[in-house]
Amino acid sequence: MTVATSSAGLSSETGAEDTSSTTLENTPTLQSFTRDSENDADGGAPAKKRAAPSSSDMLFYYERLLPFRYIFQWLNHSPKPSKDFTMREFAFEFRSGAYQRYNSFSNQDDFKKSVVNANPMRFEVGAVYSANPKERKNLPKSALKPLSKELVFDIDLTDYDDIRTCCSGTAICTKCWKFIQVATKIMDASLREDFGFNHLIWIFSGRRGAHCWVSDKRARALDENSRKSIVEYLDVVGKHNVKSGKLNLKKPYHPHIERSFNILKDQFATIILREQDPWNTYENNTEIDKKLDELLSFLPEKALQEELRKHWKSSSSNSLTKWEDINVFAKRTLKSQLQVNMLNDAKKDVILYFMYPRLDMEVSKQVIHLLKSPFCIHPGTGNVCVPFDPLKSLVDNDEDSDYGFNPMTAPNLGQLQTEIENWTGNGSTGSNSGVKTLDYEKTSLKPYVDYFAKFVNGLNQEELSVKRERDASDKLDF
Amino acid sequence: MFRQNKRRTAGRKNFEPSIFQGVTQIYNTRLSFYDIPPIDEITLEEFETWAIDRLKILIEIESCGLRSKSLRETEQVIKPLLLKYLPLNPNPSSSASPPASVIAERKKDHYSHFILRLVFCRTEDLRRKFIKNELVLFKIRYNMLQPKEQREFIAQYSDKLPWQYISQDEKLDILDDLFAATSSTVRNSLVFESGDPSFTISRDQLYQHIQKSEQFIKLPFEKVPNLVASRSVLLRAGSAYIPSTLQLNLLSIEYQDLLTTSLIRTFQSMPRLEEDDRLLPLLNNLSANSSSIEYDMSSKFDAENASDINAVSVTTPAVMKHYPMCATHLQGALMSKSHLKYQGRQQLQLFLKGIGLSIDEAMKFWSYQFTKSNSGITMEKFNKEYKYNLRHNYGLEGARINYKPPDCSRILSKPKPGKGESHGCPYRDLPLDSLITNLNEMGVTDQVDINMVVDDVGRNDYTVACTRVFEFTHKQELAKSKATSSEGMHINHPNLYFDRSRQLEKSS
Repeated sequence: MTVATSSAGLSSETGAEDTSSTTLENTPTLQSFTRDSENDADGGAPAKKRAAPSSSDMLFYYERLLPFRYIFQWLNHSPKPSKDFTMREFAFEFRSGAYQRYNSFSNQDDFKKSVVNANPMRFEVGAVYSANPKERKNLPKSALKPLSKELVFDIDLTDYDDIRTCCSGTAICTKCWKFIQVATKIMDASLREDFGFNHLIWIFSGRRGAHCWVSDKRARALDENSRKSIVEYLDVVGKHNVKSGKLNLKKPYHPHIERSFNILKDQFATIILREQDPWNTYENNTEIDKKLDELLSFLPEKALQEELRKHWKSSSSNSLTKWEDINVFAKRTLKSQLQVNMLNDAKKDVILYFMYPRLDMEVSKQVIHLLKSPFCIHPGTGNVCVPFDPLKSLVDNDEDSDYGFNPMTAPNLGQLQTEIENWTGNGSTGSNSGVKTLDYEKTSLKPYVDYFAKFVNGLNQEELSVKRERDASDKLDF
Repeated sequence: MFRQNKRRTAGRKNFEPSIFQGVTQIYNTRLSFYDIPPIDEITLEEFETWAIDRLKILIEIESCGLRSKSLRETEQVIKPLLLKYLPLNPNPSSSASPPASVIAERKKDHYSHFILRLVFCRTEDLRRKFIKNELVLFKIRYNMLQPKEQREFIAQYSDKLPWQYISQDEKLDILDDLFAATSSTVRNSLVFESGDPSFTISRDQLYQHIQKSEQFIKLPFEKVPNLVASRSVLLRAGSAYIPSTLQLNLLSIEYQDLLTTSLIRTFQSMPRLEEDDRLLPLLNNLSANSSSIEYDMSSKFDAENASDINAVSVTTPAVMKHYPMCATHLQGALMSKSHLKYQGRQQLQLFLKGIGLSIDEAMKFWSYQFTKSNSGITMEKFNKEYKYNLRHNYGLEGARINYKPPDCSRILSKPKPGKGESHGCPYRDLPLDSLITNLNEMGVTDQVDINMVVDDVGRNDYTVACTRVFEFTHKQELAKSKATSSEGMHINHPNLYFDRSRQLEKSS
């Protein structure tokens, strides 16, 4: 085992970001919001809420709450331990900043025991190798080849800092979570319809982003070239375009972009114009000139740009009015149908530019890249990295169904501990005494674990039926 | 090519007609996937000259690649060379079987390809390079074929190609999506086929064309990563739909797969060749020839050169004046911002390692640069977050690989620098005005000179631009040492720039 003093190489990006933010100083929005929403709940242990968990908190969580069973089944693809699990790399990240790679476990019990013993701040899931990763010291280097891994995506709200006005840095609120929500819809549609994947799940990253794991056999077997091609296919806006403020998209739009646009266009008014309101000139905003220039740079015809600029300089207005101004002025300025078409294309480009998902590409490209496991605890916030359904809330809370998932009310370790302490049985009958209630079932984690279990079940049913078919045909050959 | 089951002296058949029908058959078409190895004997002299002739072409292709020339531009360079070294003439239309002269050309092409497989099969690096260059050669030659020959070629290999044309009904079902996804590709290829740059086609005509005559191939998307990445194909449920005008891409993918597996197989059977004392020296000689264009780091580490490189001296003008622009730019950013992002650290750390900065000195240099300002990076933070990475680059941590400084093509293949990043190639990545400022600082102030550099950059010839700057900034030294210098040498490695610069200074 190598214990590095720093998280070097592979997971350095994700690692460094989160360890540097273990203190809570940067999350005022999160804290204040939490306090509001917790008012109606019992004040069990308010000090613990949304705070960095201690190592004994973590130990408690690993021993009693984390659903090792389903994580094992998810990675194993079969009831008995298979190579997909036993040759899988896991990495531990410790409080000291040490990062231990190449752990592997022989079965579910070994998995749980090792995590409990090591009690890491969190653990990450890597690739399946051609040999047992923990034995790599005894093997020739060529023996340890990465064979497969889920196709993963990482969306982080920090990549939206230049367009979100509600928060910045590590802070998030329900307004900017909507960026993640539309992103998940677009990605979900493309991964299913274009690439034909069925078994994908979204995981809250614990603070301000989401991970997507695609578990289809075909996705797991992709080589790096194909992974790269998929992220590039999905990366419509692109880092360079973000820098230059221009999208160079072919017209007609590729069907994927057209579909994405159709998903985005209805929400543009709400998410961007009303809530983010980036071009509001009522309030003092130091960057406003730059932002207006950016918007204008999308539009065709210098004359139109200048007219609008003059008008917006002369009186204050909000973003919604400005968006309407574009049409008003265009009617006056543009003369040919061709120009009008160009304007319509430009407006489509603006909508895509401000709302299309921004991906952290590097995570997806490499087979050996590690990514934090579902159901880990975010070391900074204490939030559980729970799976969620982008389309509807898993907890029966109508207020939350707008976002699909509300990160502000996500299960949090402090809250879970309180829930366990206060649990008194489900009250009613108690007649089915033979069944012991599992600890996670006593908490608000339950719907998320159930959702994950359902996902794992669907995946493994398919794996099994494929395997059975293969076995059957083997027999015939015999 | 080598009879492994026979004694070398037995059964020479030089003067007997070949009994293998397959071999003569593959000479029926101009182009080939080289899927059948040659079995006739050839002389040692032929062995060598044929191999060298093909090597010359591959080296030229390689150098075009380094200068990021497009396929079209490479074609311009390679065509005359092909005519000279490896001509392949079409079958004369009159006779059924090709005449002896044509057969001889094809035989040379065939043999030279297989000889170079022996030369290039030995390391991963060589194999990759060989495949890349052979692929370009294949594409150039495929484009030189007449349409009839292209059809014949595809027919010949039809059983090897995993293609499935979709039915007209299926096409009409998804016609609008097909049009949206592929119309620009189809348009380009129609323009290309017409040979007339002013050729135009309206949107409706194009739609008609796709509806009526364009055929589409359906295959798993993993087969065509490049087309998926550029969104130039339609994807549906895991299948990619590709207009048949793009079949050259598909062909080259098949060819690449074939070549990759056969090179590994060749490599595995190399030991059986070891006893052949006539061929091995030849092969060694050939592979040495091909790699001489690469920057060799091992010769660099002589103490004499590196003795004055330490944590302090690398920031002095005496050393920095030998830096290529990318290194000056990176180190400048480091010194002013007291920080570099990951890619920039990688590039500069390895460059400095390459010029002879030892690990101890590197540690001094980097920790000083990172902690010198009040920006908040303490020595403790440096040790925690950056030390491992630096030691890793020197092969002291993790997999303990002694990493080499990246060459220009590697630097150019990395992601371009984003906001706040300084890695990459300044000729490609800097906006024009800051590029010119940097040129001025390096002493290139003549407007004519600057224009020449800017022109190179405009043509995406970044290493040519860099080489040119080297020549401008070393005019005097180059003039003095004209006799000994390797004049006109192309700079394809930042450390090569540095080494040549220092060498010139010493010799003058």
